[in-house]
Amino acid sequence: MIDQVSLQAFGEDANARLASEHEALMQFLYLSPVGLVQTGIDGEILMINPISAQLLMPLQRDGNLLNLFDALEGVAPELRHLCATFGRRDGMVCDGLHIHLNHTGHASGALRPRRSPQVLSLSLLKLDDTRLMAVLSDVSEQVRRERQLRQNDAWLNALLTSITDYALVGLDREGRIVDWNDTIGRVTGHTEAVVGAPYSVFYPVDAITDEQVHDRLREADQNGWNLDEGARLRADGSQFWASAMISPIPDAELDDPDAPAYCMVLRDISDKREAVETRRKSAFCDHLTGVANRRAFFEAAELELQRNRRAPRPIALILIDADHFKCINDRHGHPGGDAVLRQLGLCLSATFRQVDVVARVGGEEFAVLLPSSTLDGAASVAERLRQLVQAQAVAFDGAHIGVTVSAGVAASEGGDLDLDSLMKRADQALYAAKAGGRNRIECWTPALSLSLSKRADQSPGSRDEA
Amino acid sequence: MNTLTALSFSTPALLDQLAQLNAEQLDQLDFGVIGFDADTKVCRYNRTESDAAGLTPPRVLGQPLFTNVAPCLHNFMVAQRFEDAEDGHSALDDTIDYVLTLRMRPVKVQLRLLADPGSAVRYVLVQRRL
Repeated sequence: MIDQVSLQAFGEDANARLASEHEALMQFLYLSPVGLVQTGIDGEILMINPISAQLLMPLQRDGNLLNLFDALEGVAPELRHLCATFGRRDGMVCDGLHIHLNHTGHASGALRPRRSPQVLSLSLLKLDDTRLMAVLSDVSEQVRRERQLRQNDAWLNALLTSITDYALVGLDREGRIVDWNDTIGRVTGHTEAVVGAPYSVFYPVDAITDEQVHDRLREADQNGWNLDEGARLRADGSQFWASAMISPIPDAELDDPDAPAYCMVLRDISDKREAVETRRKSAFCDHLTGVANRRAFFEAAELELQRNRRAPRPIALILIDADHFKCINDRHGHPGGDAVLRQLGLCLSATFRQVDVVARVGGEEFAVLLPSSTLDGAASVAERLRQLVQAQAVAFDGAHIGVTVSAGVAASEGGDLDLDSLMKRADQALYAAKAGGRNRIECWTPALSLSLSKRADQSPGSRDEA
Repeated sequence: MNTLTALSFSTPALLDQLAQLNAEQLDQLDFGVIGFDADTKVCRYNRTESDAAGLTPPRVLGQPLFTNVAPCLHNFMVAQRFEDAEDGHSALDDTIDYVLTLRMRPVKVQLRLLADPGSAVRYVLVQRRL
């Protein structure tokens, strides 16, 4: 009796344990983060876990999930064939096959699948003549990461190949060099003492203003990058030709003002300089005088004024005209005129800063845009130019051609003028300089604008006769 | 009790009536009932559903539905419908054909998805298809 009771109790105990184990095992399969499916040799689903259903149900058009091959028919039609022609009795039919899903045209088209997988990985194992095991998983994220890595590799290749050398420079929010590394020393010859200096330290004197240092950072914020090609300065004063790309560092610690916020890759591309210079010259240079041409001037001026509207600061424009140029041409012929223009180009280049945009915008008319300059500042530089031109007669064909210039200066405190208005004011000031006897500088004033508009009505275009 | 026996999978306006039932009454329904709260934690799980899935309530109650209980519903056909209804502060009462993996067998079912901005508990109801 006692034995029977204990045996029965033991049996119940064992059953309970088995039931509990069975339930645990079931939940183990319910919660498995990869899909497991067992099918007949024709794909008929015999056993399937929930993740499989999660992945396969959205591919089903009829709301049924009875056959694996049918379920994947729309995205991997080759599967049935692959299994049918698999020669061996058992073995891997496919291992980690990537199946790219295409959600367009799905029956419930109105519902944009927000988190639906894009790529499934499928492995199929043939167990015997009657059964297949399938492992399914969503590998969209891995595929995305791999793609990104490949893209990064491509970026790095583009950056690191066929260049003489490059420096990697971390910049803080203000564009100051944050920390030291050997690449900076190698490319620029600077020492660790350069840390803390703004990146303009790499530019030749006067080739960039403080405001433009910030402009490039803002543009990097907006576009993801800022690219600038041009002359750069080594610590010893020698120059090299560089391409500089600034990009914001994602998730930079904004609270810490000393943390790097940008990465600048400074490449020494002196090898390519000639090609670049030739291209630049043909597109943007005035052949005769070597200064910028109209196209380059208006592109650069528009860009500078656009930046000026975003971050207002003073800006000045000078229009310069050779006096009595028509007479010079008449007396010395066009080659004489050309010699005068070349000389003016040299004087202009010698007088203005690298950051100023100097261009020949008409026959004997030049324009200079001076970023971060006031009216007075621009007027005094214009006066220096006037004196320089007057002092240097042009040697031509055994003769010395004396030449003078008149100039009109206009300026804006920042943000309130477009290029047209600035040009118009400088032109009115130039007219006043001509009318006042030539070989002089005039600055625009509101009164000038009034008196000239009256006069212009009476004799339009009279300045052209000057 | 008459109202209780009258409740079926397709009874209109079922959400409010389910809310009135206690656990015992819920167990007597002939369709599966899974109720879950704002955090998607399962708070109601009746016997019909428990028997079909082979899981006892203690393994399920308090667990997040779409990750720990029924990952097969974690797609745009089911989980996202609830999210969309929540985002849009709108009611959801929709019945769809589906296949559940009950005890690792594919089982054709109909699912009824119920949610209402005024109700803290949302439901997935399960009825076998023949």
